[in-house]
Amino acid sequence: MKIVMKFGGSSLADGSRILRCGSIIERYKQNHSLIVVVSAMDDVTDKLLVLTELAKNGNREAIREHLEVLRAIHIEATNIIKSDNLRAAAQEEVSKLLTELEKVMTASTLLKEVTPRTRDLILSYGERLSSILLEHTLKDLRVDCLRLQGGEAGILTDEAFGEATPLFEASKSRIRSKLNPLLEQNIIPVVTGFIGETQNREITTLGRGGSDLTATLIAAAVKADEVWLWTDVDGIMTADPKLIPNAKTVPQISYAEAREMTALGAKAIHPRAIEPIAEEGIPVRVKNTFAEENAGTLITSTTQLKEGEVVKALALVKDVGLITVSGAGMVGKLGTAAKIFDILSKSGVNILMISQSISESNISVVVNRSKLHKAVTALELALLGKGVVSEVHAEDDVSVVAAIGAGMQGTPGVAARIFGAVAKRGVNIRMIAQGSSELSISFVVKEKDALTALKAIHDDLNLGG
Amino acid sequence: MRILLIGFGVVGQSFAKLILERRNELVKVHGLNPRIVGVVDKGGAAVANPELDLAEVLEVKKREGTVAASKHGKKDASALDLISNLDLDVVVETTPTNIKTAQPGLSHIEYALKLKRNVITTNKGPLALALPELIELSRYNNVALLFSGTVGGGTPILDFGKRCLASDKLVMVEGILNGTTNYILSSMEAEGKSFEEALKEAQRLGYAEADPTLDVEGWDTACKTVIIANWLMGRGVTLKDLSVEGITHVTKSDIEEAKKKGKSIKLVGRVAERIDVKPRLINRNDPICISGTLNAVRFVSQYAGDEIIIGKGAGGMETASAILRDLLEVKYRMAQRWYE
Ligand SMILES: NC(=O)c1ccc[n+]([C@@H]2O[C@H](COP(=O)([O-])OP(=O)(O)OC[C@H]3O[C@@H](n4cnc5c(N)ncnc54)[C@H](OP(=O)(O)O)[C@@H]3O)[C@@H](O)[C@H]2O)c1
Repeated sequence: MKIVMKFGGSSLADGSRILRCGSIIERYKQNHSLIVVVSAMDDVTDKLLVLTELAKNGNREAIREHLEVLRAIHIEATNIIKSDNLRAAAQEEVSKLLTELEKVMTASTLLKEVTPRTRDLILSYGERLSSILLEHTLKDLRVDCLRLQGGEAGILTDEAFGEATPLFEASKSRIRSKLNPLLEQNIIPVVTGFIGETQNREITTLGRGGSDLTATLIAAAVKADEVWLWTDVDGIMTADPKLIPNAKTVPQISYAEAREMTALGAKAIHPRAIEPIAEEGIPVRVKNTFAEENAGTLITSTTQLKEGEVVKALALVKDVGLITVSGAGMVGKLGTAAKIFDILSKSGVNILMISQSISESNISVVVNRSKLHKAVTALELALLGKGVVSEVHAEDDVSVVAAIGAGMQGTPGVAARIFGAVAKRGVNIRMIAQGSSELSISFVVKEKDALTALKAIHDDLNLGG
Repeated sequence: MRILLIGFGVVGQSFAKLILERRNELVKVHGLNPRIVGVVDKGGAAVANPELDLAEVLEVKKREGTVAASKHGKKDASALDLISNLDLDVVVETTPTNIKTAQPGLSHIEYALKLKRNVITTNKGPLALALPELIELSRYNNVALLFSGTVGGGTPILDFGKRCLASDKLVMVEGILNGTTNYILSSMEAEGKSFEEALKEAQRLGYAEADPTLDVEGWDTACKTVIIANWLMGRGVTLKDLSVEGITHVTKSDIEEAKKKGKSIKLVGRVAERIDVKPRLINRNDPICISGTLNAVRFVSQYAGDEIIIGKGAGGMETASAILRDLLEVKYRMAQRWYE
């Protein structure tokens, strides 16, 4: 098989973990043709972000300390390399990059300004540094490999610094002409994730879903058989294991289900990363670097429905607010809902859920909590005092619970089981979303009841096995 | 609409009471739902979402002396913190008038404008010392800076001059703008009292402060005159550009003398070619020659001639109603985009 393997930051958090990734690659390369994509070491991207903030304040001392920490983390990791020559080479490359970064920081600190373009340049050092470490570790294991920066590997993007979008066709053909010859010679390309470059060869970053997107784009270009995302959990879980201790791995979900999960804030793959492989239908596997034997989660273009397993995962959306617009005058008055959509969209407020009472005397919407007050003010200004709407009520202490799984709406009794489970614990459901996506059922409860509701469904629908 | 109320004294509390009383009507008739999300006094603040329970806050203030004792109290929160940290549409500033530094009101107002919050104030200090720049900052930041309550309390003196006479050209505005001094001068004239006796009487009745300097030395009138000059007549002046004379040296015999000529002595703020504040002789049959704590203002415009407004010049509820008038103005400005 031809496999694109992406290693996440937690898998590369220190020297011994990097060695573990190296061994995985060494093993799989016996029977497969591999391309490797790396994230930055754990926390490094956050540290680089802090650096950009410090530069804006001109805080030289703190910048020096941060750079020192970055140097220590990366140099320390080289100690896992046995060959003196390779270790020295890795250290030299790391030092060279960090000296360069130091210069960038000095300039930004003087100007007290970090443009989006400079910010992308600064952030790119994370993946550029981690790729040096993995490259030399692989060479230490006598694995033939070549390190490539995103742009060198062929990833060409627009100039939307901070969240650049690849020019798909151009990138794919460049990737093919760069990587295929390497694969033919049995050389494993080690590509920095998250980074691309513009037509003018300026470094860009891909924003949300960044290094997953690098992996899927490469997979689409070289027509890989699978994409494997190595992380520190056993794949996509039935619920956040921090909230539900007996959450377990979901064996299979579809692209659409994954998209729905991400939209609802659960940990899955970002929709942007699915885009390049959607047409080809290349499957994505999410696997645990630290428990390789586990199958993980397989994400495929179509869903596999198993008897009795229509609900695949649960999500909890915490930071939301509920707005109820009411008035006896709304009954039979057409267009109030449309007006509400219009007002909120013009105010830059996203609607997460909506429902209307049968009597038409009230309409409820769920919005991000940070936008709640703005939304309420806009609705009041636009709707009150005209004899139709008499009240705009706001609640900032609610959460959304969602059950995700294709085929749920078509399976009789699922909704009844979900709501039954919640009702049995005495939790009051404040609102149910109607007519939203076929892939999920979501409802609103008070924040203090959210965990109870989540647990209730997880237990009663046997998601924990 | 989300409001932060800074200062919870006579005016601030009256405003809270007014909202409690009139909320339903405001929502129904004016489409205005005033939500007070924060109140600040010297002891700290009270903050709640989506809004404060005003009855509770009023009760706590009366009982404990500070809103920080409320169930939503925040002892360490300052007005500046709240201006930036709360989601706000309007900041209402009602801290005491300070004519030397204009603080703390000036920093509150400047900071709120910078963060693009609409500002309504009854505090004359910042306006008297910095009105030209505050007007510029509010325009630059595209938010309202409104202050109906600073001149004439509830009587819409500024609105009348600004709106009703917008099509005309004001040549001169003069008026009796301070209730305390007018009360003192009236009782000196009617009852033959000396200045000191009349002042004591006014203090006993609560018409004058324990420290009456601002009123009797003409500074309160001067602040209002500066506001009129800037707002109604486009004169970019501040307090230091005015000549100001109070009533402390007015004697019984001055008043007797005037009386004989059919005149009264009144403390008048006047914006004509010169801008000044001083005791002037006014014909007793001139309609602005009012007695007691009333205020009276004469607008002289080029085409419409003379117009006079007489009304109560101050008072908690009166001033609170001026704040509400400004709040409705902010509401109509904000709602404009939804009328298209
Ligand atoms: N009263 C009237 O009729 C009238 C009419 C027109 C205009 N005005 C003007 O309106 C303003 C308010 O008048 P008022 O009669 O309500 O005065 P007040 O009763 O003395 O109230 C002033 C309020 O401001 C608070 N305060 C003082 N310093 C503060 C600070 N640094 N931060 C936060 N709050 C602070 C005080 O807190 P504490 O309660 O903790 O002391 C008090 O609540 C004054 O500028 C006045 O000139 C009054």
